[in-house]
Amino acid sequence: MPLAEQIGGATLSWLAYVGNLTRLTSGAARAVFIDPFRGRRVKWSRSMHQALAVGVTAIPVVSLISFFVGLILALQAAYELRRLGALHLVAGTVALSMTRELGPLMTAVVVIGRSGSAFAAEIGTMKVNEEIDALETMALEPVHFLVAPKFAAMLLMMPCLTTWSDLMGVFGGGVFGVMSAGFTSHTYLEATIDALVRRDIFIGLVKSAMFAIVITAVGCQEGFTTGLGSEEVGKSTTAAVVKSIFLVIVMDLVFTSIFYLTAPR
Amino acid sequence: MAGELIPKDDAAAERGAPAISVRDLRVNYGDREILHGISFDAPAGQTLVILGGSGSGKSTLLRTLVGLENPTGGSIWIRGRDFASMKESERDELRKRMGMSFQSGALFGSMTVAENVALPLREHTNLDRSTIDIMVRLKLNQVGLSGFENYMPAQLSGGMRKRAAVARALAMDPEVLFFDEPSAGLDPIIAAGIDDLILKLKQAFHITILVVTHELASAFLIADRMILLIKGNIVADGTPEELRQSTHPRVRQFLDRVPEKELTAEIDYLQMLTGEIPPERQ
Amino acid sequence: MELSTRQVENATVVDVVGDITLYSSPNVRKTLLDLLRNKHSRRVIVNLEKVRYIDSAGVASLVEGLKVSRDVNAGFALYGLTKTTREVLELTRLIKVFEVYDTEEQALRGKGDAGAQ
Repeated sequence: MPLAEQIGGATLSWLAYVGNLTRLTSGAARAVFIDPFRGRRVKWSRSMHQALAVGVTAIPVVSLISFFVGLILALQAAYELRRLGALHLVAGTVALSMTRELGPLMTAVVVIGRSGSAFAAEIGTMKVNEEIDALETMALEPVHFLVAPKFAAMLLMMPCLTTWSDLMGVFGGGVFGVMSAGFTSHTYLEATIDALVRRDIFIGLVKSAMFAIVITAVGCQEGFTTGLGSEEVGKSTTAAVVKSIFLVIVMDLVFTSIFYLTAPR
Repeated sequence: MAGELIPKDDAAAERGAPAISVRDLRVNYGDREILHGISFDAPAGQTLVILGGSGSGKSTLLRTLVGLENPTGGSIWIRGRDFASMKESERDELRKRMGMSFQSGALFGSMTVAENVALPLREHTNLDRSTIDIMVRLKLNQVGLSGFENYMPAQLSGGMRKRAAVARALAMDPEVLFFDEPSAGLDPIIAAGIDDLILKLKQAFHITILVVTHELASAFLIADRMILLIKGNIVADGTPEELRQSTHPRVRQFLDRVPEKELTAEIDYLQMLTGEIPPERQ
Repeated sequence: MELSTRQVENATVVDVVGDITLYSSPNVRKTLLDLLRNKHSRRVIVNLEKVRYIDSAGVASLVEGLKVSRDVNAGFALYGLTKTTREVLELTRLIKVFEVYDTEEQALRGKGDAGAQ
């Protein structure tokens, strides 16, 4: 009985948590997509500032990690394909895995580490310093003021970063392909383009947009629920990273399943 | 564009009438009732000091007045309208006419002092950037912080941070200014400087000022009216002179700084230690 | 708040009617700067007789007008201050910065550089 109770309690609190994330997201979405058309002024400069922090400064680390992941994928695929004498399939394997799966996922992991945690830390610190209260007494809605710019920036930059990650992954695979699988750079690129259909890229970008929403919501939510005291900010930051990674993986599973089931045969 | 909620000349006509009337206000944190149905008026253009020790509910009262907490009962009348039952958008219109100086200052750490003061103006008005810059310098000059425009809050001392927070609270030319523990954590000379500033602001701008504090000396210096709040109830409400003359035992205890009496009866003490009675019974 | 301008002798008089606030001061600013920068008025005189209230945004707009008038070497004066307007300018210690006159005639006549500091 206590076990069932515990499971029930945990489920309920997760549901409540997801409910909070949804509320935060819908508030931010309203601020970004609806308010500008109702004459409410939106300061895009804050979004631009966030987009720089989220996207542009993440390019080096996303590049490096994606390059390595592409290389690893090629090595792993080659290990198996070599026995079948199908080494020429390496290019397609890398391209598909990167665009559909690992590009979005690796980008998400990097962005969680860099930006999701930063969102939680920034908002958490503001909470502890009464800055969130100050915003409210100035008639500045915290979701509108703090979450919406991050939301817009993430929604814009995650697909861009993911695309870049895909390219770098293919490049990593290509380095292996050219060096030890008998490709020239030209034939590798051709094999890659042959293997990909538009749907693959689309799936990856849809995923990355979904991850952007989850990471923003979790990071900000953890910030807003920070308790009193500066040590709580650290806890919020950790929680933001752990919960984001978990939710991103769960969403990835859900989307991959949906795309698998709806795939044209 | 946000228009004026109520034209200024109405405010002049209402002068002398209370700027804020609180009636039977009740506020809970979870199951615990913090404010037990309190009523008072804050006269327009005057300074009202809400005195109370820690745990008296004075900070909760202030947070409720600016709309950071929602009351469970009662009403807060500001300019003839009930703040507590307003829609959020209406509250925001009123909030633009109120300024709040937080205990810690609550300056935005990622912005310079000038950006902090400019923020409400940038967000709520169509004023030109150059106009805002002049206004920011005016406000900083009023609180004695000229020349600190480009400092980050972390580079300021406690007293300066509080002054900067007052400048930010003044940014929109508020009609009501709230102070949470203006002199807490400051050395006596700096604290006296803040008291001076509060007096000056009232005289200069005819602003209604509400101050929450436990500092007696400061309270008697700045107050036109005082309220003594003990454990969520108002035990005294009057001019500083009336409070000084009061013979009410709770008022005397607070003003004469008599420590809370120890539990005298041994049986109570024993029961308190063994947890048979809650230590915080009235 | 309403604004109108009229030419009197070699000066432009700006009549302001109503309150100069956070929300109406951009109009005042625009008019003053336009007169000084684009219409090359040699002397701009702001009539504040009908201004019941001026907030810090209004004060800041007048300060901008004064500053631009110095940039373009034009005159800039105020007259007809009501009690509250005068109070606000005194509190911000600007009463001595502006050229302030009681009546339009005095403002038109001016007094050279006196009162400009």
